[in-house]
Amino acid sequence: MTKPLLTRSTVEEFLYFEAELLDTWALPEWSALYTADARYDIASLDSADPTNADPATTLFVLSDDKNRLDSRAKRLMKKTAHAEYPHSKTRHITSNIRIGEASGNEQKVRANFVVYRTKGDRTVHYMGEMHYVLVVDGESIKIKQKRINLDLYTLADQGRLTIIL
Amino acid sequence: MSSIPVSDRRLVHIDHAAGRFRVHRDAYRRQEIFEAEKELIFAKCWLYLGHKTELANKGDFVSRTVAGRDLIFVRSREGAVGAFFNTCMHRGARICRDPRGNTKSFACPYHGWVYNTEGKLLSMNATRGFAENINSDGALNMRRVPRLEEYRGFYFVNYDSAAISLADYLAEAKDFLDLMCDQADGEVTVLPGEHAYGINANYKFMCENSYDGYHLLPTHVSYLEFLDEQSGLKGKDSAINFLLTQYAKQGRGRGLGHGHGALESWVASGRPVAQWIPVWGPEIKAEIDETRLRLEQRHGKERANLIADVQKNMVIFPNLVINDNVGFTIRVIEPTGYNTMRINAWALAPVKESARIRALRLDNFVSFLGPAGFGSADDVEMLELCQRGLDRAPVEWNEISKGMNGGGDPRTAQAGPDDESQMRAYWAQWDLMMRGQPAFGGR
Repeated sequence: MTKPLLTRSTVEEFLYFEAELLDTWALPEWSALYTADARYDIASLDSADPTNADPATTLFVLSDDKNRLDSRAKRLMKKTAHAEYPHSKTRHITSNIRIGEASGNEQKVRANFVVYRTKGDRTVHYMGEMHYVLVVDGESIKIKQKRINLDLYTLADQGRLTIIL
Repeated sequence: MSSIPVSDRRLVHIDHAAGRFRVHRDAYRRQEIFEAEKELIFAKCWLYLGHKTELANKGDFVSRTVAGRDLIFVRSREGAVGAFFNTCMHRGARICRDPRGNTKSFACPYHGWVYNTEGKLLSMNATRGFAENINSDGALNMRRVPRLEEYRGFYFVNYDSAAISLADYLAEAKDFLDLMCDQADGEVTVLPGEHAYGINANYKFMCENSYDGYHLLPTHVSYLEFLDEQSGLKGKDSAINFLLTQYAKQGRGRGLGHGHGALESWVASGRPVAQWIPVWGPEIKAEIDETRLRLEQRHGKERANLIADVQKNMVIFPNLVINDNVGFTIRVIEPTGYNTMRINAWALAPVKESARIRALRLDNFVSFLGPAGFGSADDVEMLELCQRGLDRAPVEWNEISKGMNGGGDPRTAQAGPDDESQMRAYWAQWDLMMRGQPAFGGR
């Protein structure tokens, strides 16, 4: 197995940085962390294999290429993105970071997460595992893939998924 | 709170002469109205259970909740499709705990009673103690739902054994289902994957929203801006300008009988059958042109145009939405209280379809629809704002009179695509049923 390209502490710092951008609604800066061929995906919550499910053949909850990810970030900053007006308060908690395989300039990483979202007087949480492919270019790290497996069967309590996890 | 019995309350007020159609807000905000709906509407109407392609093989089953009842939808080992109440006949335990699967039998986890896929009790897991021939009349077999019928692969249940047939119940909604299913050269299938989410609003707000052509610009302006950015179209060619200046000139909303209703509209959001948009590129265009040609060969030009160009949003009374617009979708609205509902939604597609068109279809679906879509989530916000607004104000009536244009039965009336005739069709049926009046006496 190839030697990891990144240490746990470097990855940790990077993921914390991403989480902070999301919690402060710095969404244009957030989408700039992603490569031009990036994907941000969440499979259907009833999927038997959400890690390998394919958005070209099965219905996903969310399936963004870089173009739509940019559009998502841009739209959510508008007052007319009604579901997020006013913006929810969120707190992204990232933990259990595991450094996976490396190949070429790509480093796989997994991490657990909980995201708390409060809108008005109601708080819900989203929890699960994030599967990243990070691209390392000298000092710079970018995200090529973020696939989220939610530990949920439905969004019965959460309702919508209008924040970025 | 009013002490008038529900059946004597007039919650829908129709004044043709004044061009007014009003629905009392208690219809959305009172628990006793919801309780009455369970008895007077959900215990009498045909309710969507599932699609035949979800039970492709013998022994396939799906467990699902329909109007508060837990059901098992199963294709037996012999091949027959059945619907049973998901409760053991012994002490009541929920038998089937898997959302879907394939099985030879259903075994209750509590005392081990076993039923076959036709519902027949095979074993009571006891060698002694029960009367001999205790099930000779079959009364301990899994209880079948009183009625189960299908139209074009869509299975519905009815908890009233005396209900009219599904085909009669569907009235003109049948013709709409035909138009939608005829887009396929062959069968239509439900694709894997599901959107399942909760909304804190009365279920009827979702029915109203699902075929509302009037809310598009204010609610979905950010989606329209997204479409315009994708297409690069600006000014008079933009989707926003189309909605402002052209949308209301074509199409209509109308009642399809028995409370069903539809919105027929033209919006160039792109449809795999068979409406190409420039952002899809020339290769896709060639394929979609080909699809269109074959559609015309099968159905003639006029019907092909109706199938391909008209965006269709349909509500089948009281809680099923089948839309054929940015996606081809099934959306079931399950009321869970007077101010809460659960949504389950699936994508439909022709079985015969190229991989890239299939991918495009799914991508189109998630871009707008579902809990993370650029459209649906904003709709949900509106429904929750409606619930909160009318829960917390002493205001009596909602005004649903846009496009009132003369007398007659609102259940078969029509008006413009940005009017509210389809909602009036729903409410007129709802009103008859809630007052215990004959509601299925022809169209």
